[in-house]
Amino acid sequence: MSNAHAKAPTDRRDFLLKLGAGAGVAALTAQTAASLRSLVPNVSYDSPTTVKLGPPVDFPDGIKFLPDERLFVFRQGNTFHAVSAVCTHLGCTVRAEALANVQTVESGGGELRLTHRFLCPCHGSEYKGDGSNVSGPAPKPLAWYRLSVAPDDGQLVVDLADEVGTDFRLTLG
Amino acid sequence: MRLPLSSRKAEPDAPGVRPQMLWSLSPRSDREAGDAIASNFMFHAFPAKVSKASMAWNYSFWLGTISAALFFLLILSGLPLLFLYVPSVERAYQSVKDIEFVITFGSWIRAVHRIAAHGMVIAVFLHLVRVFLTGAYKNGVGRGQHREWNWVLGVVMLLLTLFLSFTGYLLPWDQLAFWAVTVGTNIASSIPWVGATVREMLMGGRTIEQATLIRFYVLHVVILPLALGVIVAYHMWRVRKDGGLARAEHETLAERPIDTPVVKTKTYTLLGVARGQAPVIRAQALEAPDTTVNAVPDLVRRTAIATLGTFAVISIMAVFIASPLEEPANALVTPNPAKAPWYFLWLQEIVTDTTIRIGSFTVNGAFVGGVLLPGLLIGLLTAWPWLDKSSHLATGVWLPRVRARQNTVFLLVVLGILILTFIGMALRGPYWYFYWPWEAWPDIPARI
Repeated sequence: MSNAHAKAPTDRRDFLLKLGAGAGVAALTAQTAASLRSLVPNVSYDSPTTVKLGPPVDFPDGIKFLPDERLFVFRQGNTFHAVSAVCTHLGCTVRAEALANVQTVESGGGELRLTHRFLCPCHGSEYKGDGSNVSGPAPKPLAWYRLSVAPDDGQLVVDLADEVGTDFRLTLG
Repeated sequence: MRLPLSSRKAEPDAPGVRPQMLWSLSPRSDREAGDAIASNFMFHAFPAKVSKASMAWNYSFWLGTISAALFFLLILSGLPLLFLYVPSVERAYQSVKDIEFVITFGSWIRAVHRIAAHGMVIAVFLHLVRVFLTGAYKNGVGRGQHREWNWVLGVVMLLLTLFLSFTGYLLPWDQLAFWAVTVGTNIASSIPWVGATVREMLMGGRTIEQATLIRFYVLHVVILPLALGVIVAYHMWRVRKDGGLARAEHETLAERPIDTPVVKTKTYTLLGVARGQAPVIRAQALEAPDTTVNAVPDLVRRTAIATLGTFAVISIMAVFIASPLEEPANALVTPNPAKAPWYFLWLQEIVTDTTIRIGSFTVNGAFVGGVLLPGLLIGLLTAWPWLDKSSHLATGVWLPRVRARQNTVFLLVVLGILILTFIGMALRGPYWYFYWPWEAWPDIPARI
């Protein structure tokens, strides 16, 4: 009994020491966590992914490069499709280079006239006119994005968050 | 109140307590030399005595001191830039242009900062090469040595140096900056699972914008220099605790304890005389008067030569070498070719060549060359002191035969990195095609 009585003050002191140290560690941890969390943005001020590109008549037959969207829009008669200009390797903007001989390939969505090829200035990746990767470090083809027509003013609209297959075509009546 | 000079005692009562503003750089006795160390704030990091061999110019080439001097010079030249640079996407480019063309001495200060930064990458790298080739990360005969940890700190400081350069690269907000950071952050995002999050944390969003600039700026001017400064201090402290440079170790190993005659500046006890320890004293080599010198003035003089020499060379180079400033950053046009800073060109070369295709399964070269290979290299480098099983007799010796094989492999890796850097610098043209230096680059239209 006297033994336990003698030990009690030490225990309390010990307990308070642990409490104090624990509170200090907890406060520091919370501060660190809060500081790191504050660096994760809650609101994105990035540009929207759905963008109006202009009326279809502005697009000539063939290819048009839209630098702001980093996008190539292709027109063959009254069908349209859009291919990304962002290299799948490390995100540089690829450049289109006109081919001497136009090739025609068959794809899921119909005949495709390949007038250009795409080259990346950063690491030399090369893509065919349909976006498929041919050589260089690029691991996969350029993305194709969904095109549609704005219901209010009839402009072409691209959805940069909506990737589609190479059989996608927007056909205007 | 200070006493007139004539009545002061020639020898102080106790070291380090003299109320004296200046200290002697040409001490008349060992006591005064030790006192100069103990009573001086700047010198307290030095030992009182240092082995002659470890002070040799051609052992360490003083690369650590030169790296530290460059770091100090970068802080000095960074301070005025801190007043002049504005970390905002609208004004960053203009403020750097002002520093370059409007502000008095601005272009010189910027050139000093830039050349010192490039120089620091080179000096730190060469320091690492020197330490490897001399096996200076190995422990010798002293008790409680842990030189391997100083090697690990060194690898960390090399990475910090590279990251400091990389974050400084973005600040001018020109084309070079913008696309180097595009490539760099995309390498980060190629890490499986966490890559996209890492990139977003680094950039503060999904595109390189104001949030990215301010993050890189704070990393560049506060967090990374602070971290580097703390580790540099710890690195120096560890050198002392491990018994000085590894070269001193070699000296201790090579020499037997020798008898030294009685000298005036040492205290001999009666007991020592009775036991036969005096008047002929058995001393270890490190304490022997003919293998060591006083830190004041010898070590101080050489440190001053290395430091001031570095300052002088950089200052003169900065007069003749102008710092480039490209067009303002334009997210719409990727320059052709788009090259990373020269110390990352070997990585750019690797990420170009390492996309692996096995059937329909493809691994992006960005991950293999940008994360996996360098990660493996750094991991191996960090763990090397524990993998190196050679004798402790090879500590602090240039290219010893017992370490011939590992030194050869190490030098081959270094050579490989240098060759890849050269290819990236001199032999890559538009679209990253291979061109010999004498071949002209074709005319590429700026736009389609």
